[in-house]
Amino acid sequence: MPVYERGYRPWENSGKRAAPAWRAIARRGIAEPIKSRRLLFLLVVAWVPAIVKGGILYFTFKMGELSKLLGGDWTDITAAGFHAFLMWQAPFVLIILAIIGANLIAKDREENGLALYFSRPLGLKDYVAGKGAIILTYYFAVTLFPLYALCIFGYLVTNGATGIEMLIEIPLRGTAYCLLAGTSYALVLLAISSLSTRTAFAAMWWVLLVAGTKALAEINALFDARLAIMSFPGQFLNGGTLFFGANPNLEGVSPVVSLGMIILYGAVGWLILRRRIRPVEVVS
Amino acid sequence: MPTDNDTAIASPAATGSIEVRDLTFAYGREPVLRDVSFNLSKCAIGLLGPNGSGKTTLLRALLGHLRMSSGHVDVLGSDMAVKPHAARKRIGWMPERGGILPAMSGVGMVAYLGELSGMPVTDALQRSHEVLNYVGLADERYRKADTYSQGMRQRLKLAQALVHDPDWLFLDEPTSGLDPSGRVSLLELVRDLARAKGFGVILSTHLLADVREVCEEILVLHKGVLLDHGRVEVDTNGDMGVFIVEGFGEEQAFADQLTATGVPFERQERLWEISVPRASGAQMILEAAAASQYALRRLEAKTETLEDLFFRLVDDGSVTPGEGGE
Repeated sequence: MPVYERGYRPWENSGKRAAPAWRAIARRGIAEPIKSRRLLFLLVVAWVPAIVKGGILYFTFKMGELSKLLGGDWTDITAAGFHAFLMWQAPFVLIILAIIGANLIAKDREENGLALYFSRPLGLKDYVAGKGAIILTYYFAVTLFPLYALCIFGYLVTNGATGIEMLIEIPLRGTAYCLLAGTSYALVLLAISSLSTRTAFAAMWWVLLVAGTKALAEINALFDARLAIMSFPGQFLNGGTLFFGANPNLEGVSPVVSLGMIILYGAVGWLILRRRIRPVEVVS
Repeated sequence: MPTDNDTAIASPAATGSIEVRDLTFAYGREPVLRDVSFNLSKCAIGLLGPNGSGKTTLLRALLGHLRMSSGHVDVLGSDMAVKPHAARKRIGWMPERGGILPAMSGVGMVAYLGELSGMPVTDALQRSHEVLNYVGLADERYRKADTYSQGMRQRLKLAQALVHDPDWLFLDEPTSGLDPSGRVSLLELVRDLARAKGFGVILSTHLLADVREVCEEILVLHKGVLLDHGRVEVDTNGDMGVFIVEGFGEEQAFADQLTATGVPFERQERLWEISVPRASGAQMILEAAAASQYALRRLEAKTETLEDLFFRLVDDGSVTPGEGGE
């Protein structure tokens, strides 16, 4: 049978509402990686600190004086204690974002997929918003969502005695911080992904940026504390102290400066994306 | 007196037309398109030119992917430099290079691109199955797209261009890298879409035979200059077959006989180049030779190549390189 006899039916619009392009990109990008068992396992492991902290909170309030033996940030249910929790999550952020984000644009570029996107009715902002939402979702999955869960659990084990802190104050602080940090992470990671057509290279650059600058800053800070500003992840944690009212954790670098650096990283990421992804080619 | 209705009917959006005026584009100092102007109404158009002639750049300009140095591109009533999104909903583009989203199944990729074209999720998925069936990939739709063969990839790219049921299809070298049977079946699909399903098609290719197979009109680009825009039958001798004839005997009588039957010919010593309607084939030449007692030693159908067409267009006094023609 000749192929053209298979017939072609024009599209009959069901009249249902179509999602904006960025949401379609985000939905697809969030659903695809979940199919990987290794990633699922990593996500479960990333919740272990939250589960441990939850368990300790439970014993703290159920065992009274005995809980003092545990001590430290683990039993701290103030905002600063939750900032410490986000610090523990930093290695998971590094690994999971490398897995999720490194290929987001690199893969599209590898097979000339960008051209397919921009032959559709969408622009750079839709594309970056969609891809960024994927990174933000996974970032939240290992930072903000466990924080929310801990807050609710903390509220329950204290029999409602910490209602305002656990249900309003700390979730709000966490949301504000994670939105800012997550957006900046997303823009930087997308920019790195846009620089290569090979996912492995993009992942390597991300790891170098996060782990490499941290190691370099720690070595240099031995000679001059101000050089801690070189640490990429350090700025996020130090800037975060402003949101949670915690003590600065980078000696020689003001949290305000770190906050500025977080915003600067995001801005640089956006500028790179604008140069690397061009729905409209500009020739001077 | 024209009414509002008349105006709507005549508008480019309503008629599905494409207008390009004085389009110039350059990469650095190297001009890729020079003063290209044409109007297209919905039909099958062959965009013909050798590699590097500016075909892909012209298609990208029609999609609004380029900021032109000068000129104006209006597709379906949208100025592509200002508001390309409305027109892109009604355009399906099949790129030459790449055009596959890795790690997605065929059906997933087509549905995804349907969603990006503004289709609801369920509609996009349903259409994806339908168009993959239409292009002959029904059995392979759940396979990862990046494991497809070249022929399957071309069909998949056609399916993604069709999924949102556009008015126009821009096909960039669709038969590139296909074996003969793959080429024939893909051209069958494109011809069906253009002739039977009413799609406007711009088929960019360097193969004249592909254009003859599918198209009604032709745009010929050479070094960024539009050499010609016209009907395929006229411009590529579509309805006429050219034969090379060699023989001996009553040459003048043979020439008179050809002239009497109204068959155009050219003669160089003992070689004749004779154009006859394709429908009649070589029969007219054989009859003329028999009537004039001219013995034929050679009778060979000549295929007009892209080069022949270019040389003919350039040699033709009415069209010169450097000027856009319509």
